[in-house]
Amino acid sequence: MLQQFQQIGRDLFVAGVISSHGGNMSVRMGDRILITRRGSMLARLEERDIIDTGLEENDANVMLASTEIGVHRAIYQGTSAQAIVHAHPPYAIARSLVCDEIVPVDSEGSYILHKVPVVATELTAGSKEVAGLLPKWLKEYDIVMLRGHGPFAIGHLLEEAYQLTSVFEMACRIMTIAEGMGQQVKEYRKGSERYETW
Amino acid sequence: MSLPDQALRPLRGLIVDLSGQTFHTEELAVEVARAFLGGRGLGAYIALRERLYEVEPLSPQNLLVFAPGPLTGTGAPASGRYSVTSRSPLTGTVFDGNSGGNWGNALRRLGYDYLLAGGALDAPGYVEVTAAGVRFHDAAGLWGLDVPSSLARLKELQPGAESAVIGPAGERGVLFASIVNNRGRSLGRGGLGAVMGAKNLKAITVAGHGACKPPVADPERLEFIVYEAEKLLKANPITSTALPEFGTSVLVNVLNQAGAMPTRNHRESVFESAEAISGEMLKKEHVQRRAACRGCVIGCARRTTAGGQSGEGPEYESIWAFGAECGVGDLTAIVQANYACNRAGLDTITMGVTVACAMELTEEGLLPGGPRFGDARAIVELAEATGAGTGLGAELGVGSARFAASYGRPELSMSVKGMELPAYDPRGMKGQGLAYATSNRGGCHLRANMLGPEILGVPKMVDRFATLGKAGLLINLQNLNAILDSLSVCKFTAFAMKEDYYARLLSAVWGETVEPQELLLIGERIWNAERLFNMAAGFGRVDDSLPRRLLEEPVPAGPSKGHVVDLPPMLDEYYVSRGWDLGGRPSPAKLEKLDLAGMALAASGCP
Repeated sequence: MLQQFQQIGRDLFVAGVISSHGGNMSVRMGDRILITRRGSMLARLEERDIIDTGLEENDANVMLASTEIGVHRAIYQGTSAQAIVHAHPPYAIARSLVCDEIVPVDSEGSYILHKVPVVATELTAGSKEVAGLLPKWLKEYDIVMLRGHGPFAIGHLLEEAYQLTSVFEMACRIMTIAEGMGQQVKEYRKGSERYETW
Repeated sequence: MSLPDQALRPLRGLIVDLSGQTFHTEELAVEVARAFLGGRGLGAYIALRERLYEVEPLSPQNLLVFAPGPLTGTGAPASGRYSVTSRSPLTGTVFDGNSGGNWGNALRRLGYDYLLAGGALDAPGYVEVTAAGVRFHDAAGLWGLDVPSSLARLKELQPGAESAVIGPAGERGVLFASIVNNRGRSLGRGGLGAVMGAKNLKAITVAGHGACKPPVADPERLEFIVYEAEKLLKANPITSTALPEFGTSVLVNVLNQAGAMPTRNHRESVFESAEAISGEMLKKEHVQRRAACRGCVIGCARRTTAGGQSGEGPEYESIWAFGAECGVGDLTAIVQANYACNRAGLDTITMGVTVACAMELTEEGLLPGGPRFGDARAIVELAEATGAGTGLGAELGVGSARFAASYGRPELSMSVKGMELPAYDPRGMKGQGLAYATSNRGGCHLRANMLGPEILGVPKMVDRFATLGKAGLLINLQNLNAILDSLSVCKFTAFAMKEDYYARLLSAVWGETVEPQELLLIGERIWNAERLFNMAAGFGRVDDSLPRRLLEEPVPAGPSKGHVVDLPPMLDEYYVSRGWDLGGRPSPAKLEKLDLAGMALAASGCP
């Protein structure tokens, strides 16, 4: 399991979707959670950086857990997630500042995501408001964007959640590049006008 | 009445009393549809409600629940399916078989969500269901016919009707006899055909063509979701290329290369003649054309020829059972053994594994004159003899567990809860070992198959030799498959689609939002309901196990060399992850959460 955390953490950093100490990840193991340590560097994870704590109940280890532990717990309690990746991808964050939902235009993003909702809260990091809001959205969507902060992606495995994060950031980047060309984007997908209803 | 009310409505049942030759209809509250969907889930609900764990499987008191699902016949991808649920004579557990074909669609078109058959006919007969009601017919001229002849004769007798029939194996009470419809689509494994045979019921025909299509609340939305889902199915190499081109037998080389192909009654896990029995070879030498269940874009079925005969299949598991498991590398003989099973109405996996068990008993000196590993003629002859109830075939008709026990070597049966293991050696894919052990209908790859994450990388690749950390993944697969069997949708769609697609399809059909999480909760409820049934039937942790060979005998050679399954810690992790105690019993809190507390109380015998 440590190896999975190390590989995904390294990939998140190399892909440029987290800063040196940003982001967090977790995996559900029955009624326990393995979550990255508060302040850990995801690109350099060691055994001591993976914190084992309760899904519903606190124990001493909660002191070491990511500041987003409450959000992760709420997501596991409210959805079918087995793994969560939270990152800070710059193109997605920038777009979330001007959009209420993000509908990719590229092929990969369209197939995999269709639409990513943007959720806004006053307190964006580790807040009860986020913990209350996100599970409701993640029941319908596997990745949800927290405005100005970053997406939470869920999956059966860390790799799945990482893939959603990566595809999402790539989709936002492509949209930004395409828009920068100053020309109308030509539609090539049948029924894409309905993606907003996804 | 608004469209959504029509689409999500109380479940309409047709109750057929074979003893009295009467019928009536009943309705189950819409809450039952919300809680159990239809198909397998509805079958589990009725099996618990009717306390089938208390009845002898081959007695008139046992029931057969024929049930399509809410997506059957709606145009959802690969949804032309239905389930039949009963108490299995092979395993004693609750048991459902699931099949493609047109039968379920026809029943829905008559406005029924399920058909419940109980009692027994005085003499062999069959039941005809039409819009006008039910008629009971004598089976003279049908009883004794093999499956293809029965289906052909019923087509003459009931033009335009869909038939679910049994063959000679079901008539004789072979404990792994199947129910068959549409040329060869089988509800196999646990002996549902024997339950029909014990009721003197040769067939049920349903004339649903021309009647109304099942209601859909939001057809435009459904069309959009189907379009998006089929995009995924057409883009995925498994569902768009491998299965259409080679059928399921494409797995022969894949599993063999992984060292997960059980060989010679699971003594080894690599078969030296795999290439000769592969999907590639089947395509080259035997396949006439592709075939597909109604409304399926995948089309995994094959029409084949061999030695002057022609027929359906074989599937991967059938090739493996008569091939690697029996040490036979003669593909023509394997295809013919498969035909023999199809004619008699026999489950091919159990037939092949039971023959393999006989082969090992012979080699151990316990079955003088019996078949030996590699004997191609024997696999055909024994399949025919089992259908006919002659010679050694009469002994094999009870399945490998009872057969091996009768020779004093129960450990030579490669089965779990009395049902034979299929074609995936858990010593080479440890999560599959846990899947077999915890399957609630016995050794089965259709309750959950770790082939996806452990071999094919669906949804992502995991370490196939790792013991721990797979319980969550397996539980999710088990719950998801319970949903697919209850909707009813082909499991192959899950190679490309995730649960949110099924939720969106059902939402469009019902006209109200069903969240993926809600759907998975239904899957969990169905799984736990089946567990409650099995507990009431006397099953517990001790039955969640594997054949001793897989726990103690390391694989002798190949990519899985040296491996066994370390099951106890996997079971502990699984039970905890399920919210069960270490005896494998669902906790009161879990049952409360799943709204099963009342059913659990009833099943425990409390007033």
